[in-house]
Amino acid sequence: MTTSLRKNVLSLLAATIAFLPVHAFAGKDNDTLVAAFQAKLPSLDRYHSPGREGFLLGLLAYDALVYRDPNTFELKPLLATAWRQVDDKTWEFDLRQGVKFHNGDQMTAEDVAYSLMYAADPENKVFNRMTGGWIERVDILDPYKIRVVGRDVAPLALEYIIQLPVVPKKYRESVGIQAFSEKPVGTGPFMVAERSGNDVVFKRNEDYFEGGGKSKPAIGTFIYRAIPDVNTQVAELISGGIDWAYYIPSDQAEKLKRMPMVDVINAETFRIGFLTLDAAGLSDPASPLKDERVRKAIAYSMDREAMAKTLVGGASKPIPSACTPSQFGCFADVTQYPYDLEKAKALMAEAGYANGFDIDIYGYRSRPVAEAIIGYLNAIGVRANLHWLQYSAVIQARRDHKTPIVIDDFGSAGVNDVGAILPFFFAESPDDQSRDPVVTQAVKEAGTIADQDKRKVLYETALKQIADKAYWAPLFSMPVNYVMSKGVDVPVPADENVEFWRASWK
Amino acid sequence: MNSRITGSVPAARLWKGPRIPVGRWGLATGVFIIGFITLVAILAPWIAPYSPYEQSLANRLVQPVFMEGGTWGHILGTDHLGRDYLSRLIYGARLSLLVGFGTIVLSAVMGIGLGLLGGYFGGRVDMAVMFLLTVRLSLPIMLVAISLVGLLGNSLPLMMLILACFLWDQFLVVTRSLTMRLRNAEFVLAARAAGLSNVRIMIGEVLPNLVSPLIVVGTLEMAHAILLEAALSFLGLGIRPPDSSWGLMIAEAKDFVFFESWLVNIPGLAMLVLVAGITFLGEGLRAWLAPDSSQ
Amino acid sequence: MAYYIARRLGLAIMVMLTISFMSFVMLKMSGDLAISLAGEGSGADYVEFLRKTYGWDKPLPVQYWNWLIKALQGDVGTSFYYGSPVLSLIAERLPATLSLGAMAITMALAVAIPLGMAGGRAPGSIIDRIALFIALLGVSTPIFWLSFLLILVLGIQFAVLPISGGGSVRHLAMPAMALAFYSMPAIIRISRAGMIEVMRSEYIRTARAKGLRPWQIYLQHALRNTLVPVVAVASVQFGFLLGGSVVVENIFAIHGIGYLTWEAINQNDYPVVQAALLAVSAAYVVLTLLADIVNMMIDPRIRLE
Repeated sequence: MTTSLRKNVLSLLAATIAFLPVHAFAGKDNDTLVAAFQAKLPSLDRYHSPGREGFLLGLLAYDALVYRDPNTFELKPLLATAWRQVDDKTWEFDLRQGVKFHNGDQMTAEDVAYSLMYAADPENKVFNRMTGGWIERVDILDPYKIRVVGRDVAPLALEYIIQLPVVPKKYRESVGIQAFSEKPVGTGPFMVAERSGNDVVFKRNEDYFEGGGKSKPAIGTFIYRAIPDVNTQVAELISGGIDWAYYIPSDQAEKLKRMPMVDVINAETFRIGFLTLDAAGLSDPASPLKDERVRKAIAYSMDREAMAKTLVGGASKPIPSACTPSQFGCFADVTQYPYDLEKAKALMAEAGYANGFDIDIYGYRSRPVAEAIIGYLNAIGVRANLHWLQYSAVIQARRDHKTPIVIDDFGSAGVNDVGAILPFFFAESPDDQSRDPVVTQAVKEAGTIADQDKRKVLYETALKQIADKAYWAPLFSMPVNYVMSKGVDVPVPADENVEFWRASWK
Repeated sequence: MNSRITGSVPAARLWKGPRIPVGRWGLATGVFIIGFITLVAILAPWIAPYSPYEQSLANRLVQPVFMEGGTWGHILGTDHLGRDYLSRLIYGARLSLLVGFGTIVLSAVMGIGLGLLGGYFGGRVDMAVMFLLTVRLSLPIMLVAISLVGLLGNSLPLMMLILACFLWDQFLVVTRSLTMRLRNAEFVLAARAAGLSNVRIMIGEVLPNLVSPLIVVGTLEMAHAILLEAALSFLGLGIRPPDSSWGLMIAEAKDFVFFESWLVNIPGLAMLVLVAGITFLGEGLRAWLAPDSSQ
Repeated sequence: MAYYIARRLGLAIMVMLTISFMSFVMLKMSGDLAISLAGEGSGADYVEFLRKTYGWDKPLPVQYWNWLIKALQGDVGTSFYYGSPVLSLIAERLPATLSLGAMAITMALAVAIPLGMAGGRAPGSIIDRIALFIALLGVSTPIFWLSFLLILVLGIQFAVLPISGGGSVRHLAMPAMALAFYSMPAIIRISRAGMIEVMRSEYIRTARAKGLRPWQIYLQHALRNTLVPVVAVASVQFGFLLGGSVVVENIFAIHGIGYLTWEAINQNDYPVVQAALLAVSAAYVVLTLLADIVNMMIDPRIRLE
């Protein structure tokens, strides 16, 4: 038999045998909520699942000690019933009693200590080293009381604790990390039932505890389906194959608004877009960007209002300062650069670049935004050559001092404090392209003290300097479009972390 | 079927593809299409109604004149940044043709060079050349191209080089087999007896005889090159904004394929016409220049 | 015959080694994996720590050698992103891509062979022009355009097929159609040429003279003659499908190798990328080897050379 003939027969055989029904219908009838995401859940072990999706997994199948309300940013008890700061480096937590893991084991201080120390150990290479790296040790005072001791003063300790879920020591150690990542066990509102193809199926945890910040789900089954292409997601929303999706681009979201079967909601996030400018001339000692007037010209050249309105869409607004407006310490009353083509050209001429110059620009997120920016720069004579790479390649290039301009964005890992963004881009970090002593001093100091008022003042100083010298060109906020079928109600959060346990059928 | 298989390369790879009964009519159509597009590309600055770079976010996604909501101000509508689509299409012809032609020149140099070496010297040299061919054919083009996206970012010369690396195989195969036939021809033996160096013989005596079949290969591979560029632009490697080629225009329009499908259909149609034109030209040339050759 | 196979096998192994080294080098140059692994906002010392842990500070040939030794024992590394052994990831995803490819090539053959042969039987006729036009469309249509058209018509408008996912044959139907369209041009042309050749040849006249009816001639002689190049082309196309299904797997959310490779590249998950490239190349090399052996068995003339 020839290869092709054999294939013929085999496929025919397969077709007759495998004519299975379409698996897991979405919707009310099945009490199944199917949600689409662009990326897959890489591992079902929260500690080895990076990115937004990993974060979501942490919320669905696991619990941390403390819970943060996504709308009010208030901290609420979860696996810890109360907590207090004992000294500069130490926090004490009272643990909730009677909480069971999905496999029936009781949650105790042993499990908490195990989980936190797992995250703290660099050998384990957990999803984000910063979240656990500040912990030096965990002292178990009694089965339901622990103390977490940091290496240094950690003003963001609680913010990090929120992201560290508790996993069962006995089970995880006995089956090993590999098996745990396939059949995980946590305490969360949902438990992982199975994984097939692109779907991860979660079922309601019937024994989920009361009294914490999260609640038992109203919906019985939740399916996480990875659909990489956004157009396919749109098609599935229209055809009813899925009930929910987010990050739908503004053009498609506008069209979906007019469709009867779905609701479209636009909501803010922590993510902001900006340009980083190589003011220190790291990429080129003769760089035009070393001249403050050139940087200001670039800032004046862009119509951020138009970009926010038409390209990003929804609730997107231009941002005034180098931070997410809601963050603690985000001082907004700094030098502004509204869209002014004439002023921009004048500054270019004043700096000696009336004929413009060529420069490299790097980007990775939104192509239309990058093109629009290049268009605006073109209009003032800055001829930008686009280098479109993956995120990590762009960051590496910046750290290797190759990038004059980067079209960047940052979500601050959902941390509501300017201390989660400024130290990464300033204060002599590898991504610092300003090397400004005033900013460096202010940011560094604010990271080591606990006095919130003092920190606020320091950040104000830093942000003022950043704006005056136009080290960044802050662009706009990046809100998200949530699209869901009319039959379901999924509350929309302020921080990209959707709480599917609060979803309910209408 | 009619290609004689020599050397250790399996039959699978040497199949060249049959002729299409195109005849004079097809040749004329091909010439006309290519000629027209080339003319448009050359005259772009004079015939395009707007600059292809002029963006206007307030004017995004305007329909073409033949759809409702369209205006004569923008005959083919505007794209997602408010740029006039007709102008971009006209200017896009330039880069599409440039890429097609430039890539072919590069791949021809590589393929013909290797083919001459392998066909003329035979033996170990030939084995090395055939090994290179086999490796090249075993590489999954798309996957390798995507890997290179992260590696080197985009730049026009680089992209043409990468494309050329995927397109030299036909040049190699044709050159090699014809060179092998000519290796022992009288005029070559005479040249050798006269003391001419091997290089002089390869380039001066053998190569001129290969010009017509190689031209045919060139036109066919040019179509292939243009399509590959479109695919690579889809992946982000290649033409950089705000420039455009038809391939990039199609790629950029991907997210509008449902609701604003003219953004994909218009450059897609242009590309179809171009590829058809090149195909007719190539087949017409083949029928005309080498009507009975089995290659 | 055995000698020929042995030689081809040797060649195949050398090709695989070359490809593995090339892809190894290419991937090492493609970006700092330590940064990608460390995550957004990590400090430089942690990145350095990761570099040492994975041995990325050693010279390139040493790194390749280490990789090769392990690979020959079946250990092609662990995925950074998934944390599981790469071999198991590939084994998990390969069936979906293979089924998709098999379905696509079957559809392509089922349509393209009769179409090509019908065209070849009457060159210049309407059916011939249609066949050639379809062949032209197949090479100039952007595959994503066709995919979304299928989704629009069959998934939304008429809602006869599910759109995303790969759970059943019904799920694979649309992506297979898109891929099949892509593979048809080469097969149409080959069948057509084979048919033309056969029509002109000696033994057709002989068969006619013997009194055989046309359809018998076509089926028995024409088909058999076309078989050799069709097998060759089909195997090459299948190889392309394996590597080229990235776009389709992406659009239709199929759990296959193409999708895996695409993700891995975006994540700089280089053990996976390297292994996937090798897996696809290996599949291609094996397929063409098989195709050649099959061809040799079918057509003795080839064997003699």
